Amino acid sequence: MSTTDTGERRRSSDARPVITDLIDEATVQSIGEEAWVALVGEEEPLVPLLGKLPDDVLSSWVDVVGPWIGSVVLTTGRQTAAELTRALLGDSAPELLDHEDVADAFGEIANVVGGNVKAALPGPSALGLPEVGDAPVVRNPADVCRVEVLWRGQALAISVQGALPPLPVPSHPHHEKEVSL
Amino acid sequence: MRALVIDDSRAMRRIVTRAVEKLGFEVRDAGHGREGLDVLDEGWIPDLVCVDWNMPVMDGLQFVSAVRANPTWRNVTIMMVTSESEHTQIVRALAAGAHEYVIKPFTADALRDKLALLGLLPQEVSL
Repeated sequence: MSTTDTGERRRSSDARPVITDLIDEATVQSIGEEAWVALVGEEEPLVPLLGKLPDDVLSSWVDVVGPWIGSVVLTTGRQTAAELTRALLGDSAPELLDHEDVADAFGEIANVVGGNVKAALPGPSALGLPEVGDAPVVRNPADVCRVEVLWRGQALAISVQGALPPLPVPSHPHHEKEVSL
Repeated sequence: MRALVIDDSRAMRRIVTRAVEKLGFEVRDAGHGREGLDVLDEGWIPDLVCVDWNMPVMDGLQFVSAVRANPTWRNVTIMMVTSESEHTQIVRALAAGAHEYVIKPFTADALRDKLALLGLLPQEVSL
């Protein structure tokens, strides 16, 4: 028996969800706020206001690999990342922070936020180890859920962004009607 | 009582150590599961291990399995302290032999409640 493929079935099964189909900004913000209260303290929460990131920024992120593939990225000014490190370490903070201290603490915040974002996404998914540096490139602007907040008056962004480029759009979709199985 | 805190993040080791010390535990720490096993091999046997999941060298699940495979350490209570919060992951950790599971971020109260459930609070403590 042969059937005619109208293209509908293939298009729907091939479609990859973008992150905004899976999680919304309010959820990402709530996850960030909860992480801040637990790790940094309730005296200095995230404030849901827009700010301007400085030129000299640092990002930390973890990769999520599962039905959705991408990264959960925190970005803020280097100075703010250092202040976050001191807030996280409290009395244990060394007098002089080195890059490893900042990478470790800022990376751990990304790990905690990323783990909770992953839990809100369809699974099963694997969580990578935290990385710190220049944020991964956004490959599909439609596959990004980003919230911007302030901490101690400084801008900080939490971005849940896909790692894959957009799927190509078929140029002649009506040709699919001629495909037989 | 003794606690061993295992996490590859120094910041998180400090946070967990501080919380557990406030509850009255004597604490040592390790940067991954293999280092944690080295502490046990030395003969420093803790009442409680707080172990992260995702770590280089030896992850938390491998550590739990290694501890459970050694009858000498059968009385050690293991609590996973991790950002892995999927139900399937929790089930895997408990099946491997962890007693409890705390999801990061956690509050000091949540940690105290878990330890109370495990009967591991050395004394009446307040944070």
